[in-house]
Amino acid sequence: MINTLKNPANRAWIVLMIATGITWYLGEIGAAGTAAIVAMLLIAFVKGRLVILDFMELRAAPLMWRVLLEGWLILVSSLILIAYWISLK
Amino acid sequence: MQYKSQAVAKPYFIAAIGLFVGQILFGLIMGLQYVLGDFLFPAIPFNVARMVHTNLLIVWLLFGFMGGAYFLIPEESETELFSPKLALIMFWIFLVAGAATIVGYLAVPYATLAELTGNNIIETMGREFLEQPLPTKVGIVAVALVFLFNITMTVLKGKKTAISLVLLIGLWGLAVFYLFSFYNPANVVLDKFFWWWTVHLWVEGVWELILGSFLAFVLIKTTGVDREVIEKWLYVIVTLTLISGIIGTGHHYFWIGTPEYWQWWGSIFSALEPIPFFAMTVFAFNMVNRRRREHPNKAAVLWALGTGVMAFLGAGVWGFLHTLAPVNYYTHGTQITAAHGHMAFYGAYAMVNLMIISYAMPILRGRAANSNRSQVLEMWSFWLMTVSIVFITLFLTAAGILQVWLQRVSDTPLPFMVAQDKIALFYWMREWAGVAFLIGLIVYITSFFVSGEEKAS
Amino acid sequence: MNTIALDPAEHHVKRLPGDLAIWFFILAEMVAFAVFFSSYAFARAKNVEMFNLYQQTLDRNLGALNTLLLITGSWFVVLAVQAAHRDDQKSISRNILFGFLCGGGFLTVKVIEYAAKFGAGISLSTNTFYMFYISLTFFHFMHVILGMVILAVLWKQSRDGAYGAHNAHGLESGAAYWHMVDLLWIVLFPLVYVMR
Repeated sequence: MINTLKNPANRAWIVLMIATGITWYLGEIGAAGTAAIVAMLLIAFVKGRLVILDFMELRAAPLMWRVLLEGWLILVSSLILIAYWISLK
Repeated sequence: MQYKSQAVAKPYFIAAIGLFVGQILFGLIMGLQYVLGDFLFPAIPFNVARMVHTNLLIVWLLFGFMGGAYFLIPEESETELFSPKLALIMFWIFLVAGAATIVGYLAVPYATLAELTGNNIIETMGREFLEQPLPTKVGIVAVALVFLFNITMTVLKGKKTAISLVLLIGLWGLAVFYLFSFYNPANVVLDKFFWWWTVHLWVEGVWELILGSFLAFVLIKTTGVDREVIEKWLYVIVTLTLISGIIGTGHHYFWIGTPEYWQWWGSIFSALEPIPFFAMTVFAFNMVNRRRREHPNKAAVLWALGTGVMAFLGAGVWGFLHTLAPVNYYTHGTQITAAHGHMAFYGAYAMVNLMIISYAMPILRGRAANSNRSQVLEMWSFWLMTVSIVFITLFLTAAGILQVWLQRVSDTPLPFMVAQDKIALFYWMREWAGVAFLIGLIVYITSFFVSGEEKAS
Repeated sequence: MNTIALDPAEHHVKRLPGDLAIWFFILAEMVAFAVFFSSYAFARAKNVEMFNLYQQTLDRNLGALNTLLLITGSWFVVLAVQAAHRDDQKSISRNILFGFLCGGGFLTVKVIEYAAKFGAGISLSTNTFYMFYISLTFFHFMHVILGMVILAVLWKQSRDGAYGAHNAHGLESGAAYWHMVDLLWIVLFPLVYVMR
């Protein structure tokens, strides 16, 4: 068990499964509004980052590529956040 | 020259350049008619000059593509052409048909031409860029099929490479999509819808594959970079082209009566069309920087780099300028479109043809590269023509912005002809840039006749 | 010619897995989706009630199930790459196959979802929300199919013993693309199915 968890990919998989469950649960209880949106975007960000670093194995890649992919994640989340913020006004 | 049969490319290239000169002359005539409306009237009315200008462009590019393919395919397949004789017969048929069509446009009124050539059998004429009379259209299909048969058979009997595969897909696509020029439904929306399947899917789809394969071929030859590396880039470019280009057709479906979702699809996917062009630029510069040899033909390398940059600017950036539906709502059919059209056609397709001609012609004339003097002249022509087209584009863009402003955005919009009068200054400047372009073209042709010490093949 | 002599130590520390060309391609694809995602978000801002109303008609359970399938499929492919680095031939192709099956599961679920929606007469022209829902998910759907084609090729190659500790380049390239398909869905699912 401990050995299995030493593999970052396995750890990432577990976190990703749980995080997906949380997003789904937030949907089930009908979470809406600023807090819910920020929470879901944060979860998506964490999940996306795990995929980039542990699945795509960019943790050990040249900085430029990490910046490009993680930057994409930040950019997309920010744009979505801005759009939702406009809609809440 | 590695294979004797590559020689059939030569007449194609010569014809291409000849028709190119014709295209530019008619461009200058029309350019003048923008400001002096009755220039050469009634001998050559504006609509006829325009038709000749655009049709000559298409025909010379097709001559260049065919010549390029006849040169490239034997070398890639490492075998002689299936039938050089067939290639020469098709050359003459295509040239005579093309010339006869142009004479037809100039000699008789278009309606009479339609009557004379059996437009009543299948009504295909009268649509922009597809104005050719029925016999010419049938001739184009016949020539294209024989040409495709010839090069496909060559590839089948020889080596199959990624470059020849991409080129074949591009050329087959060109022939297949031309078939939509025979489809002319009575419903105007459907008519326009499928008209773009020829026009758009040519220049923003399959022609890009031809462009990509020519570019890859010349880069392999001139830089000596591993074929594997170049092929990988080619695959990436082709995939990006097809994804963005095919659905990008939607940017023509904004205002013709098609469902609303095309505004989204067209905007989003065509906004991505610069990416493959950008990839081509990165690709060309990357390969030249990593070159393993100094090829004596510097001019060809210059054209290769130039086509990457200019295609990205003309097709990519200038296309993007007016491709989003909310912008296009104002700019549709203005001089902005003309600006984009000029730089995109020159940057992507004129330059790639000039590149393959620049690389192949010296070899066809029995040397690896032209003399230094000749190359210097050719590079001068490169800069003259390229800078001229940049200015033509900038002047037309300025004219277009003013036109949009005066005629469409303003609170007190001016009528079309009044707005045209107000932007006449830009048309004059465009005409002078056009004259500079013609000088560049003359220098280009001169470079073929300049001797000097030749580099051995 | 002398290729640039890479310092082997440094080479080991900073390394981009897979091929440069595939990463360029991945970035281009991600830009496409970024444009699509933000178009959705801004179009929604103009029409919040409508988007919120019709979002309720989507099947969140199937969407979440599909997220789990893609994540798991991605995980299997990571295990395949790790197996290649260990030279564990059997494990490479087995894990690729599992990844492929997860993709198949995703497609099946999606087809069930589409069948219900199209059966209810929903089309691209129904309204802007459904236009985005269908366009975005279908565009992604095509990427899953492309990813599975790549996995199928990798599987065939791995069966022929093409990959190992010193030759994982092709496998890593294909794997990177498959992870991108996963990454895109991780944003798409909350955006279209849940966030309101």
